[in-house]
Amino acid sequence: MSKQKIDSLKRQCPRLGSPIPFNYCVMSGEDDGICWKILDCWWETFDVEEYLKANMPEDAFRQLMATADKPKNKIASILEIVEKAKKAKGEEPR
Amino acid sequence: MMEQRKVYLREDEMPRQWYNILADIAMNPPLGPDGNPVSPDQLAPVFPMNLIEQEVSSERWIDIPEPVMAVLKIWRPAPLVRARNLEKALGTPARIYFKNESLSPAGSHKPNTAVAQAYYNKEFGIERLTTETGAGQWGSALSFACAQFGLECKIYMVRISFDQKPYRKSMMATWGGKCIPSPSPFTKAGRDVLERDPNTPGSLGIAISEAIEEAVSDPTGKTRYSLGSVLNHVMLHQTIIGLEAKKQMEKINEYPDIIIGCAGGGSNFAGLAFPFVLDKINGKQIEIYPVEPAGCPTLTKAPFVYDHGDTAKYTPLLPMHSLGHTFMPPPIHSGGLRYHGMAPTVSQLVNEGILTPKSVKQKEVFEAGILLARTEGIIPAPETNHALAAVIDEARKAKEEGKEKVILFNWSGHGLLDLTAYENYLAGNIKDIELSDDEIAEAAKIFADHPKPQSLKSR
Repeated sequence: MSKQKIDSLKRQCPRLGSPIPFNYCVMSGEDDGICWKILDCWWETFDVEEYLKANMPEDAFRQLMATADKPKNKIASILEIVEKAKKAKGEEPR
Repeated sequence: MMEQRKVYLREDEMPRQWYNILADIAMNPPLGPDGNPVSPDQLAPVFPMNLIEQEVSSERWIDIPEPVMAVLKIWRPAPLVRARNLEKALGTPARIYFKNESLSPAGSHKPNTAVAQAYYNKEFGIERLTTETGAGQWGSALSFACAQFGLECKIYMVRISFDQKPYRKSMMATWGGKCIPSPSPFTKAGRDVLERDPNTPGSLGIAISEAIEEAVSDPTGKTRYSLGSVLNHVMLHQTIIGLEAKKQMEKINEYPDIIIGCAGGGSNFAGLAFPFVLDKINGKQIEIYPVEPAGCPTLTKAPFVYDHGDTAKYTPLLPMHSLGHTFMPPPIHSGGLRYHGMAPTVSQLVNEGILTPKSVKQKEVFEAGILLARTEGIIPAPETNHALAAVIDEARKAKEEGKEKVILFNWSGHGLLDLTAYENYLAGNIKDIELSDDEIAEAAKIFADHPKPQSLKSR
C-alpha cells in the first residue's frame, strides 16, 4: 500500500465529528504533532501501532504510547491557554 | 387496541430543578497545570462567576431559572419514544425506549446547556460569548442560545470542518453567530499557526486557544468563553433529559433495567443517566452503560506499568502501557471504557463501579445507525450510533435469555448534517485493512518531513 493510499484512508473523527484522512491525524495534535487518539481511532482499520512503531523515532513512539490515553484534564488545559493568552496580550505592541 | 408509541409530558410537568451529582459522589478537586487545586478566581477570566459557582456547587437540586424554562419550552419536554419497529426487527422481548433529543432547534441535546449558559452569562453582564466547534453541533447550539438572550456569539470552527460542513456555518449565521475558520488572523494563536503554514486544516487545540484568547483579551471584560462538554455545570444542565424520562416512565408504569448513552465528552450520557444514578445509589437495581469506541487493544489490554519515557532513561518513570506484545484485536465489548477526555464525574462513577463501561467497534456503529434509520425513521448523529450499537447488543441478549428487559437510551441527535459519514460507510470506505511489512516500509515517507525529537541531556 502506497503512502498516498494510507494518507487517504478515511474514518470518522470522534473529535471533529466528520470523516477525515489519516494524514490529518499525524499533524493535528499539540504543536502540529500526532493526535493523541491516533491509536484508538485507527487500530480497527490497519495495524497503526506497528506502522507508527516502524516509522517514528523510537523515543517519540514511546512518548506517544505513554500519553495516548492520558490527555490533560480540561480545566488544567483551559488555564494553560488562559496564561498563554495573557502573556500574548502583554507582549503585543501598545 | 392501538399501540402507544410516544409518552409526552405537559409543559407544566417539566422538571423545575436540575440534579447535581456532586451532592452524592466524592470528587477530588480539579487540579490546575501546577498540580494544585483550582480556585474560582482562576476561572473568572473565562467563565462568569454564577456558572463557576454551579461548577463547584454541592447542592443536590438547583432551580432552573424561569427565562431558561421559557426557552427550553421551544422544544421541551422531549418525547419518550418506544422503539417498537426496532423491537420487531430484532424479535426481542425487550421493551426499548429512547429520549428523542434530536428535536431541538440545533438537532441535538447541546442546546440544553447552551441555553442555560447564555442566560447566566447575560445575567452576569456579559455581552459576547466565544467558543470552538468541531462538527458544528456545539457552535450551532450556542448560536441559537445567544440569539434567545441577545448575546453576540463568535465561533472558531476547525478549518477542515468549516470547509466540509457549509450548512453548519449557515445555521450559525442564521441565528446570528459569527463562524470563523480556525486558525484565523484575529488572534495571536491563529496568526502564529498561519505564519508557519497558511494552508493548515486547523485543529481543535488551535480553535480552543483562539476562542479563549479572544475572551481573555477583551479589554471591556464583557466577553467570556463557553464549553459544551466535560465540565460539571454542563452535566448539570443536561440532567433535564433524565428527569423528564423518569416522569415519563412513571406515567406508563415502567422503570428501566438498563440505561445506555454514548459517552464522548460525557454530557448526553450524564444527562440521561445521572438522575438514575441517584436511584442506584439509593438501592435500585439498574445497569448503566456508558458507550464509546473500542480503544486500541495495546492501550486497553496491556499491563499498565511504570517505565521511562525515553530509551536513554533520562526522563523520570512514567506510567504507561507495556510494549512489544503481539497485536491482537479483542472480541467485541472487551476493551472497556477509555474514559479519557471525558467528564470527571462520569470517570469517577466508573471507578466506583456504579457505571459499567461498554465499547463498540466502528463497523457495528454504522450498522446500528442504518438499522435504526430504517426502523425508527430518524437518521442518527454518528456519535448516537455508539449507543444504538450497545442497545442492539443488549436487546439480542434479552432475546437469547428470554428476558423482558426494559432498555432506555438517549437519541442524542440527528445526523442530517453528517451525511458524509454515512456516505463513506455505504460506499464501503470503512473497512479493515492489513498492511504487509513491505507496505509499512514503503509508507515510511509519511514521517520523513517531521521534526525528529532529540534525547536531550543537560550534563
